Amino acid sequence: MAEYEASLLEIIKEHAVGLTGELNRDTPIADLGIDSFSVVEIIYEIEEKLNVEVPFNANENPFGDMATVGDLLDALDKLIKKK
Amino acid sequence: MTRNVVVTGMGVVSPLGNNIETYWDGLREGRSAIIKREYQAADKFSLTVPVAPIDDIDDTIKSLGRDMLRADRFSQLAVIAADEAIKNSGIEFDEALGARTACIIGTGIGGQTTLDDGYQAMLCRDRRPHPLTILKIIPNAPASHLSIRHGLRGPTFAVSSACATGAHAIGVCADLIRSGSADVGLAGSSEAALSYGALEAWKAMHILADETCRPFSKNRNGLVIGEGAGVLVLEEEEHAKKRGAEIIARIAGFGMNADGNDMINPSVDGASRAIELAMEDVKVDDPAGVYVNAHGTGTLLNDPTETKAIRSVFGDDADALVVSSTKSMHGHLLGAAGGIETIAAILAMKNSIVPPTVNYEEPDPACDLDYAPNTAKERNISVALSNSFAFGGLNAVVAFSKP
Repeated sequence: MAEYEASLLEIIKEHAVGLTGELNRDTPIADLGIDSFSVVEIIYEIEEKLNVEVPFNANENPFGDMATVGDLLDALDKLIKKK
Repeated sequence: MTRNVVVTGMGVVSPLGNNIETYWDGLREGRSAIIKREYQAADKFSLTVPVAPIDDIDDTIKSLGRDMLRADRFSQLAVIAADEAIKNSGIEFDEALGARTACIIGTGIGGQTTLDDGYQAMLCRDRRPHPLTILKIIPNAPASHLSIRHGLRGPTFAVSSACATGAHAIGVCADLIRSGSADVGLAGSSEAALSYGALEAWKAMHILADETCRPFSKNRNGLVIGEGAGVLVLEEEEHAKKRGAEIIARIAGFGMNADGNDMINPSVDGASRAIELAMEDVKVDDPAGVYVNAHGTGTLLNDPTETKAIRSVFGDDADALVVSSTKSMHGHLLGAAGGIETIAAILAMKNSIVPPTVNYEEPDPACDLDYAPNTAKERNISVALSNSFAFGGLNAVVAFSKP
């Protein structure tokens, strides 16, 4: 995971227009200020970078019950391992 | 009670200038924005054609903010034009007015450059299209972006009728206000289709000019594609008066119809009927006070057909009125043509100056009206018409009168 973590954080940071503090595993997803456009872009960039397909429907809340950036990174880690 | 519709704001992005002031300077001075340019794709395709591009807009686009940076160019241009129109009109959209404001912004083609990029990504670079491709290319994107940006929640949609799009958008929006569906409307059109793929398609149709656009001149040989956007703020007259707005012009009439005849070739009957419908309620005291901003594409067939149509509506008076094609300067903006040409017609009336038809070199017996060749004309104008006749035989004509 460590090898992906930095680049995933970089992708998220690009779109986190609401972020005022530091971006780390503990940052709440709600604080990122990500809009519907950005969700689609983030998922695309992750798919391109990691060569995975993220199961996602553009009409659903993509974060489900995830609360922090750490939860998001763990979910992606699971996806990569499944590949 | 009759509800009259007036124009209280105008905004434009054009090859001649990116606001009303510079656009008007270019029109009045008879400046041509047409240049030859090479377009390339995938490092192996290229073509060079005359076009009328906008080159000095990048900083303005960047200043629109994050949402608009993720939109196609045709949406960005529409928003720049609309923002200027709103600012000039002095209107402020609160919750209640937003719900009573229509937003009818058309396009002939839509997000052409985004679509081209998507295909190039797939076919040339083995990549997927950008995930926002669909949201960028849909023809209603400008109307939707403007609705979100300014909180407009009245009737909002795109109109598409090729080269008649802008005139249809303005006419339909005026009708919505007249019928009571809205009190205010943003109306206009946008186009940004200068891409390798699109220009090859135009070239394949054998309708592009070799050198430049020469409307009504005997040596004309085709049209020149341009890009840009034009947006009007339309308002119910009493609403405008109540808030003390400056009324720039009145919508005096609107005519729309279809030839029902041919996809390419225009029809005198269809065009003249559309002009007649637009003039139905317009009182003309002096035909010398009528200015027609012509469709005037500079193609072999449009110009004599349009001339015949104007003659058939105005009869002997046709020799007194003045006609010009500003496409000779800003090119043919396709869907956006009516958007920026209605503004040219209104500015001509407001400033008592008819912008010229430039590149006019040889008289054509089939085009025998006064086209204000090559230099602007001072003229007191009381009625200004904007003609738009589209491929597919769709006609739309808007008539404006002085406030």
